[in-house]
Amino acid sequence: MADQLKLTVNGTEQTVSVTAEMPLLYGLRNELGLSGPRYGCGLAQCGACAVLVDGSEIRSCITPVSAVVGKKVTTIEGLPALWAATKGHSETGSQTLHPVQQAWIDEQVPQCGYCQSGMMIVAAELLTKNPDPTVPEIKDAYTHKPPSAHLCRCGTYAAIISAVQRAAQVMKS
Amino acid sequence: MALPLKPYHSPLFSPKLTRRGFIKGGGVLAVSFTFPHLSAAATDAPATTLALASWLEIRHDNTVLVRTGRAEIGTGMSAFYAQVIAEELNVPPERVTLIMGDTDKTPDGGYSAGFLTGAENLRKVGAYTYQALLSLAARHLGVPVASLKVADGVVSAGDRSIRYGELVREQKLELKIPVSGQAARVDPKAWNGVNGLDGLVVLGNPPTRPVSEYKFIGRSHPMPGIPDKVTGKTQWTCDVWLPEMLHARMVRPATLGATLISVGPLDKKQFPSAQVAVKKNLVAVLSPNEWEAINAAQAVSAGTRWTEWSGLPGSENLTQALRSYKWGAPSDAKGDAAETAAALARSTRTIAATYEQPYVKHAPIGPFVAVADVKSDGSATIWAHSANSQGLRARIADILGISTEKVVVRWLDHAGQFGRTTFGGDGAEGDAAILSQLTGKPVRVQWSLQDDLAWSASSPGWVEDIRCGLDTSGNIAAIQSSFYSAQSNDARIVGAILAGVPSTSSKPDYWVATEWPYDKIPARHEEVYGMPNLGSDSSAVGLRGLIMRTPGQRQQNFALESLINEAASAAHADPVEFRLRHTSDPRLIEILHATVEAASWKPRPSPHPEAKATGTDPVIGRGVCIMVRQNAYWVGIAEVAVTPATGAVQVVKFTIGLDCGKIINPRQLERCMKSGVVMGVSEALKEEVIFDTGKITSTMWGSYNILTMAEMPEIKTVNISRDDKGFGGGSEGANAICPPAIAAAFFDATGVQPRRIPLTSTYVQRLLRTA
Ligand code: FES
Ligand code: FES
Repeated sequence: MADQLKLTVNGTEQTVSVTAEMPLLYGLRNELGLSGPRYGCGLAQCGACAVLVDGSEIRSCITPVSAVVGKKVTTIEGLPALWAATKGHSETGSQTLHPVQQAWIDEQVPQCGYCQSGMMIVAAELLTKNPDPTVPEIKDAYTHKPPSAHLCRCGTYAAIISAVQRAAQVMKS
Repeated sequence: MALPLKPYHSPLFSPKLTRRGFIKGGGVLAVSFTFPHLSAAATDAPATTLALASWLEIRHDNTVLVRTGRAEIGTGMSAFYAQVIAEELNVPPERVTLIMGDTDKTPDGGYSAGFLTGAENLRKVGAYTYQALLSLAARHLGVPVASLKVADGVVSAGDRSIRYGELVREQKLELKIPVSGQAARVDPKAWNGVNGLDGLVVLGNPPTRPVSEYKFIGRSHPMPGIPDKVTGKTQWTCDVWLPEMLHARMVRPATLGATLISVGPLDKKQFPSAQVAVKKNLVAVLSPNEWEAINAAQAVSAGTRWTEWSGLPGSENLTQALRSYKWGAPSDAKGDAAETAAALARSTRTIAATYEQPYVKHAPIGPFVAVADVKSDGSATIWAHSANSQGLRARIADILGISTEKVVVRWLDHAGQFGRTTFGGDGAEGDAAILSQLTGKPVRVQWSLQDDLAWSASSPGWVEDIRCGLDTSGNIAAIQSSFYSAQSNDARIVGAILAGVPSTSSKPDYWVATEWPYDKIPARHEEVYGMPNLGSDSSAVGLRGLIMRTPGQRQQNFALESLINEAASAAHADPVEFRLRHTSDPRLIEILHATVEAASWKPRPSPHPEAKATGTDPVIGRGVCIMVRQNAYWVGIAEVAVTPATGAVQVVKFTIGLDCGKIINPRQLERCMKSGVVMGVSEALKEEVIFDTGKITSTMWGSYNILTMAEMPEIKTVNISRDDKGFGGGSEGANAICPPAIAAAFFDATGVQPRRIPLTSTYVQRLLRTA
């Protein structure tokens, strides 16, 4: 049966009426109309659905909506506001892209782009926790962090590494 | 009113420029087409269902709109196409907007199979349009065309100038250019069941811009869709929401040949808004709520009963199954059989080997998804991500039993498909169309990952017997090869097969895909054999085969280049030097030298003097291969580390060299090369479809393995751009040059020749133990 659950998504408090055990992915996509997180496997094996919850990556395809009540959820749609907040500017209405997004454009990372929302989420988390990651640290973050590696079938890994390094430069300055 | 055009001599192939009327406050020159071959005897009406929208529009605000049925498949075509058009029109590519893939908004159809298939066509469209603009400007300025100068969309004569936009202001001008081709339509006689997949082909030879004057080709123009993709604004195929739309999840048969006995119960208390739809063996659960559809489908599936079927050999018996098949005549052959046999008989030494590879998957990160809205008036709209929207349109019309004109396919972005939708088939579109017809509602079908890995088509397994003869100086005198594979052109749509509605069929033929790089090998004979899908001997769906990135050549080049490496080793020759002995092609020689240098290659024969097939310490090796494909010359050099005791293989570094003629967009090319290497390394080390006697069992990322970031080698790219060799295919082929180089590097490290990929640890341990 549907429950009324209060979520904070991309800086805005929202109430969704869903069954509590429904994965967050369907809440974000079908109830809140956010298309950044996408269905890849539904099994926490690919990373296409990744979002930030209180600054840490989770897989929205296996995380029940109820588990994020009272927490801050960020999708790629909310990265500009997240960046503005880190810089001490107002959270909403920011037009400036998060340095990770800008780096993804500058390095022309996406090929099909399907996996890239999840890839940017990893980068956003990594760079807040490790502002100057080495290439092995970047590879590690994308490969060995539970629950699974972030997979890109188009093979954009090299471009992702370049983009993370580029974003790191901007975020440090 | 017809306006005069120069400089065309053949009246048949001349474009025609006419003034159709006036547009207040606007103005456009719109490009459409004529079918000159058909106009003489128009009894067989041209298949003009394609001809709905203009191809290119020059607008009064100086912008350019281009519509093409070919779509972005992740290789940067949306960037290249704009550049090619911009170059011919002499306007900056930033001013060009592309509409791609929608059948009701684009006129031409055709494959989205890489740059070459579409750009040449669009280039001619641009070139014809440029000539028309020059004629208009000449009349306007009252000077001959020859005295005009053009820069960035401004035509000038002396001190007077006019912009393209002003040339069309307040007018509706139409330019008709000559084409051939027909709309895609289902035809049982066609080799894969559908005709017209090529789309419209522009005829004639309008003058194109000389390479020496290029301003935009050669620059790294960005892919226009990227900003929206990184900010979450893109509407993907999975993001279509229609009023009253139902979400569907498929309940697939227990095996690839099972038929339905009974559908499991649907508990309406637990799933109040869900419904079950059944058509023969097509079973789905639908609900306005996606999560309910997912759970209800699982519940229904658990109680659904299917007949037993075991028509597959099991993946561990694949080679044996291919070996025991009664192959008829070869479906294609190249070279001289008798001459090759005689040369082999004369050889002082022959080397014979068999290479093989199991089934592999396209395996996109996003499983198939589609939305269909079949209306009560019989019209249908499909939202999908197909590499051939017109082909898909024809197939959907066939499935629904309606005319092609009543179907619209809207193209949207989705995960890269790597060739599996090239013929317009496969995918969730058939399911969605049939379910929408059954329920009378718009239906969104999302395949699960398991559905996709189990039910989408695969790139079929194959074996190749190949041998060569060496002469007294250790050079290759002849090569003979026989390639055996299940077909890879089965574009039937799963939903249609299961529902028992008409479905196209395809011929089980294969083709010689090699473009022969070794002109100094005196004799060669290649033959290929095709067979129907495994498990297709009944009404079963079976293991459907479809082309995948660098099709045919990926497989056949693995065998050829591996044999060349084995021959080089037998001749105690450095494998680079050995290749140079067998070709006189200057482009191949130059890119080979350049790549070898970039990889710091030191000449010596393989294996490495310290090669070892045992021990817990990693041994290292290097290997090389080449490929010629679509006016492009490829070189791959792999460096690997093998740990014999564990069977672990790591590709440490990969140097990839490419001469594909004139480079259009260096950055997009580089990323296609690097990402292609990732895919090729993945195939060489990890990928294998596992199936039992009834079904594919590698249906998750934990069982169908693809390369992760940590496993990616350091990748170095080497490019040669040429102004005098036209354009070549650079976006696709990188994957194909990885497996032969990696296998050669493995041999260099261990002294043991792998004749099968993938080099999984289990296979490597077995291989090294039995060596
Ligand atoms: S969709 Fe969540 S990890 Fe794949
Ligand atoms: S960009 Fe296509 S899957 Fe990553």
